[in-house]
Amino acid sequence: MSWPVARGIDPIETMPVSPHARATRRVLWLWAVIVMAFLYVPIVLLIIFSFNEPASPGLPITGLTLDWYEDALTNRLLLDAVKNSIFVAVAVSILATIIGTMAAFPLVRGRIRYPGAARIVATLPIMLPGMLLGIGILLFLRRVLDLELSLLTVVAGHLVFTVPFVILIVAAQLQGFDRKLEWAAADLGAEPRQAARHIILPLIWPSILAGALISFTLSIDEFVITFFTVGPQLTLPTYIYTQIKFGVTPAVNAIATLLLLGTLLMFGLGIVLLSVGRRVRRRDAT
Amino acid sequence: MTSEVGRGTTPADAPEIGQRRSVARLWPAIPAALVLGVLFLGSMAFMVVFSFWRTDAGFHLVPDWNVDNYVKFFTVPTYLRTFGKTLVMAAAVTVAALATALPFTYFLVRYVSRRWQRIVLLAVIVPFWTSYLLRVYAWQAILGERGVINQLLMGLGIIDAPTRLFTYNDLSVFIVLVYVSFPFAALALYATLERFDFGQLRAAQDLGARPDQALRHILLPQIRPGIITACIFVFVPIIGEFLTPVVVGGTQGVLIGNLVINFFRGAQIAQGAAFAIVIAAFVTLLLIVFRRHLQVEDVVARG
Repeated sequence: MSWPVARGIDPIETMPVSPHARATRRVLWLWAVIVMAFLYVPIVLLIIFSFNEPASPGLPITGLTLDWYEDALTNRLLLDAVKNSIFVAVAVSILATIIGTMAAFPLVRGRIRYPGAARIVATLPIMLPGMLLGIGILLFLRRVLDLELSLLTVVAGHLVFTVPFVILIVAAQLQGFDRKLEWAAADLGAEPRQAARHIILPLIWPSILAGALISFTLSIDEFVITFFTVGPQLTLPTYIYTQIKFGVTPAVNAIATLLLLGTLLMFGLGIVLLSVGRRVRRRDAT
Repeated sequence: MTSEVGRGTTPADAPEIGQRRSVARLWPAIPAALVLGVLFLGSMAFMVVFSFWRTDAGFHLVPDWNVDNYVKFFTVPTYLRTFGKTLVMAAAVTVAALATALPFTYFLVRYVSRRWQRIVLLAVIVPFWTSYLLRVYAWQAILGERGVINQLLMGLGIIDAPTRLFTYNDLSVFIVLVYVSFPFAALALYATLERFDFGQLRAAQDLGARPDQALRHILLPQIRPGIITACIFVFVPIIGEFLTPVVVGGTQGVLIGNLVINFFRGAQIAQGAAFAIVIAAFVTLLLIVFRRHLQVEDVVARG
């Protein structure tokens, strides 16, 4: 693996300054390779073991099989868990995107009395360890509101940390938004509602979409908060957790591989959509 | 009051219009205020309340106000020791993650073309978006007694019998935590390094600074916000970590988060709430102290 040196970089820029520069660079390159291996070896092994015959995941590789995939995919509990997770993730991403996008506007533009406090309240759920959120929300829903735990309480729990993500992402784009465009629209007779619909939304939709994709991915992977707020139902992460705790078979690795593939697809889709969005905007701009 | 007066309004009708305007502007934030103000802050507030109550013999929460739950945290040696150990673990992982990520991102920004930078960065982020649970689980098959490391060491003839050096202890928890924290550190550091003008290092050296002096006096002060952000993003989650010890830590690798979970498992809600509040207060304090340097968007808004 070698990373080509940038074309177009000024040779003076990369010219060795100290006599050790070349050596330093070699060492750094080697370090980068080691780091990438550190990041990916566990994942690659995870995938390899999903095809391995023995009933406990690990070396040696004795024979290749697809049995664990069949095991995983014919398991009713798992399929229900996947269905539940998708329901929660779709609900969370729709709600979080709408709620977060709406909130981003007054946060960026309004004169909020305590901007510092609002910022801290909006970042705390992202920064606080999930365990604290999970326990707090569980106590609030059960002991204070006396609600039965269900998938809906999971959705509520997930909103607490996905809404801040959407707010931060959309607010970041709104901050760079050229308000002259809106004023121009207003000068030309557009109502604020029309300006929002025809001027602002078309320009900031990549960040809204990014917010939706991120909240979907975060929700479908979230274990800790789900663990506390879920009722008798299983979601994908809680199912995987019980599998890991009680009797691991490579079926877990098969699920992991499929989930990884799913995440990659979502990721790819997000990137493609974002770059399409950028291209559209660029074309509109010229 | 006067601060709410909109610019461009006449003084006579200003207060009323100003107020109506600010209400009109704030309504889109109401649903978010419900989620964050009621559900989140409400949860935290009631957790504070419960932490001053008592759990009776029948596992019911009783509004019998007292501070025993907090006293226990600070007087029972096991609890204090576990909390101290959690802080040491968090600090060690932070140092290791930054020491790993700093040379990596420095190399990336300084010597790799923009196009490849983006690809490598994406490769760092992708595992970050896959299930946390599975990333921890992946290490079970590597560190375990019959795991890859043991198999390799035995295959090479270095050891005869599987060693338990790498499993169900603090070392295994440490390794896995560095693994899951790395992307946070790399993202935060990349974001600041990317804004750094490397010409300054050359300038410093032209003026006679040794490379290490240039790094220390020119680079380091300018990337300090990124370093602080990275530290916070690695350190804070570990204080509330309970999953990694469960999956690879065994009984030896227990952290403070596991104690909290055990209290709730045992229906000792008031006691668990007090521990959770101590942790939450500690984290909030850290965030407030470092809020000026913390660049959450650098890490969050890159996905």
